[in-house]
Amino acid sequence: MKKRDHQESCSSSYGGGGGGGGGSSSNGKAAKTCWEDEQDPSGGMDELLAVLGYKVRSSDMADVALKLEQLEMVIGHEDGVSLSQLQNDTVHYNPSDLSAWVQTMLSEINTPLRDPVQSLNGGLDFSDLPDRVSSELTQTHLGFSDDSQYDLSAIPGMAAYPAPPTPPPPPRLQLAAVPNKRMKTSIGASDTNLNVTSSSSSSAVGGAPESTRPVVLVDSQEVGVRLVHTLLACAEAIQQENLKLAEVLVKHVGMLAMSQAGAMSKVATCFAEALARRIYKIYPQASLDTTSYNDILQMHFYESCPYLKFAHFTANQAILEAFTSASRVHVIDFSLKQGMQWPALMQALALRPGGPPTFRLTGIGPPQPDNTDSLQQVGWKLAQLAETIGVKFEFRGYLASDLSDLEPSMLDLRPPEMEAVAVNSIFELHRLLARPGQIDKVLSSIKGMKPKIVTMVEQEANHNGPVFLDRFTEALHYYSSLFDSLEGSGPTVADHDLMMLEFYLGRQICNVVACEGPDRFERHETLAQWRSRMGSSGFAPVYLGSNAFKQASMLLALFAGGDGYRVEENNGCLMLGWHTRPLIATSAWQLAPAVVAAGAH
Amino acid sequence: MTRDKEEKRRPVLFINDHADILLEILKRLDGRSLCTAACVCRLWRALATADSVWEHLCLRRIVSPPPSSPGSSVRPVVSALGGYRRLYMLCVRHLLTRLDRDPGGRWRTSSAWDELQLSLSLFCVDYYERLGGRFGDTAATSSLMFLCKPVNV
Repeated sequence: MKKRDHQESCSSSYGGGGGGGGGSSSNGKAAKTCWEDEQDPSGGMDELLAVLGYKVRSSDMADVALKLEQLEMVIGHEDGVSLSQLQNDTVHYNPSDLSAWVQTMLSEINTPLRDPVQSLNGGLDFSDLPDRVSSELTQTHLGFSDDSQYDLSAIPGMAAYPAPPTPPPPPRLQLAAVPNKRMKTSIGASDTNLNVTSSSSSSAVGGAPESTRPVVLVDSQEVGVRLVHTLLACAEAIQQENLKLAEVLVKHVGMLAMSQAGAMSKVATCFAEALARRIYKIYPQASLDTTSYNDILQMHFYESCPYLKFAHFTANQAILEAFTSASRVHVIDFSLKQGMQWPALMQALALRPGGPPTFRLTGIGPPQPDNTDSLQQVGWKLAQLAETIGVKFEFRGYLASDLSDLEPSMLDLRPPEMEAVAVNSIFELHRLLARPGQIDKVLSSIKGMKPKIVTMVEQEANHNGPVFLDRFTEALHYYSSLFDSLEGSGPTVADHDLMMLEFYLGRQICNVVACEGPDRFERHETLAQWRSRMGSSGFAPVYLGSNAFKQASMLLALFAGGDGYRVEENNGCLMLGWHTRPLIATSAWQLAPAVVAAGAH
Repeated sequence: MTRDKEEKRRPVLFINDHADILLEILKRLDGRSLCTAACVCRLWRALATADSVWEHLCLRRIVSPPPSSPGSSVRPVVSALGGYRRLYMLCVRHLLTRLDRDPGGRWRTSSAWDELQLSLSLFCVDYYERLGGRFGDTAATSSLMFLCKPVNV
């Protein structure tokens, strides 16, 4: 009761701006006694504050102001630490001694959060702080100096400069040297005041060396770092089958994630949910999603960030260049979805010198749970467009829940002299890695279609390693970069935008983290891995030309936040990335000459 | 005497009597001025909203039509998709402002024709999206929303 009054009065006074504003009546009594004590100015107390009833040494003023600022930030932060967290059993005494009082407040906020991390680090003792901390200062500044213009996001800094896979003990603290020392002296100076407090605030004394920690908490960058460390610690616990610890950590992550805003908290929430699913073995039901829901999410992804557009435009450019002289062309699309890729190709074909070819499109999609034929609807829309711009168009749709069910004979292919075939796959091939042998079967089917060009776009990440912890770490960096790029596209990213993206990407994250075996179909692999796989299956690379590069660059320039996106050319393949991290890669392939020769016989 | 001279000095040319000259002038304006011109009077509106003027505006920066695609084949496609004025309003205008804002010219490895090609592709995607019939005539479809969003300069 007493403590709460003190809290509220002090909070309201802080709300009034800075410390010591508005003499509170509940402090009136303390004021009188303080006033009597402080007639003698040689006590070193600030006179103006003393009038209001607060005993603060003049020498401590700057330090106390700093701490009050931090406290205000913590309390006043909209998603911040709620006052309920402050209402544990620690009793605060003597709020007129601002210095110690604020210390107890701050250390109390830190104390409950300290424990899980500490227990993980084997009961690391922070009592011998100053030397260790100052020695770490130089280390941490190197580790966390990221050139990201968004100061509040710690993870991109880490993504750009990946942290070592295991969380380094002790957790890195980014502290400024000066407040550290100041606090040490203030602890010493206000020893006399501390003695007045009761034993329950010995946690404050014990926590006093930890008062260096309050600088850590309220800096939101630091909360970001803690989030990452806690996530990694949780994953490590799961890897070691220590599910109880993992449970505790996952809840902790959830709490920390609430105190962040924007992309950071979304990433953390997605990963925390995925980890929770893994711990409690509640696997998401893939079959409950309706197609329209998927389509809405994917359209939103298409609209709000350049990844899908980049994929479509670069693949189209490769197909266009392969089709320069053909009079009949046939594109087989493994992932038709809404068909957003094909209007641009049809327009480019319409403006081709020499006139447009006859354009045949075979779209493959999964069967719908509600039995609507969305493929036919897409085909009809494309046919309308084709008629408008004067391109002869034919469409065929195939429902296949599994790409490996497809046989070249089903597709009504015509001989290569008559018709040039292109196979297009955007973010589809990695799903085939879930079951052994599927990918080889599909690649040999593709070879059976005798394509002139095979275009493929895949995520540039290795989420298919055998060790869970490695996969988790990779995924954390990848999706952090992805979310960071989404947030970076302008200062005003609407909340609902982020939320839809959270759903869309959150499902991918859930699959990578929580599922195993054939259920885990988001088995992303890097370009290098795909290269070796395609090479050994009998495909030779086709280099994407400078036109594709130029178009991609222009497209990215149109997006807000275009400064962060980078198009890179990697041995003939194009990669789109955010700052230094490549995120998706487009590559094009043709049948290797040996295969063609063998096929001809 | 002076009154006669003043009468002689009064301008004889009234631009609305010479629509061809007016058209030539309008062809050299930028988009914003053209829109303003369309608000002046009915004759100006008829001239300023004609697609040929907007075609000039869109193709102006292209010094010579590239041999690979003569201008005559572009026109029917663009007309079918909604016309040059619409192309300018939806795509070209944003492209020009976005690509111009980078004085270092990092993105300027492309030619004006490439920029027009990109505009055309985006225009086509927009048309395709409208085929669903869900959008009003002037509202931007979601695929072009990224062009309408304010850009972090």
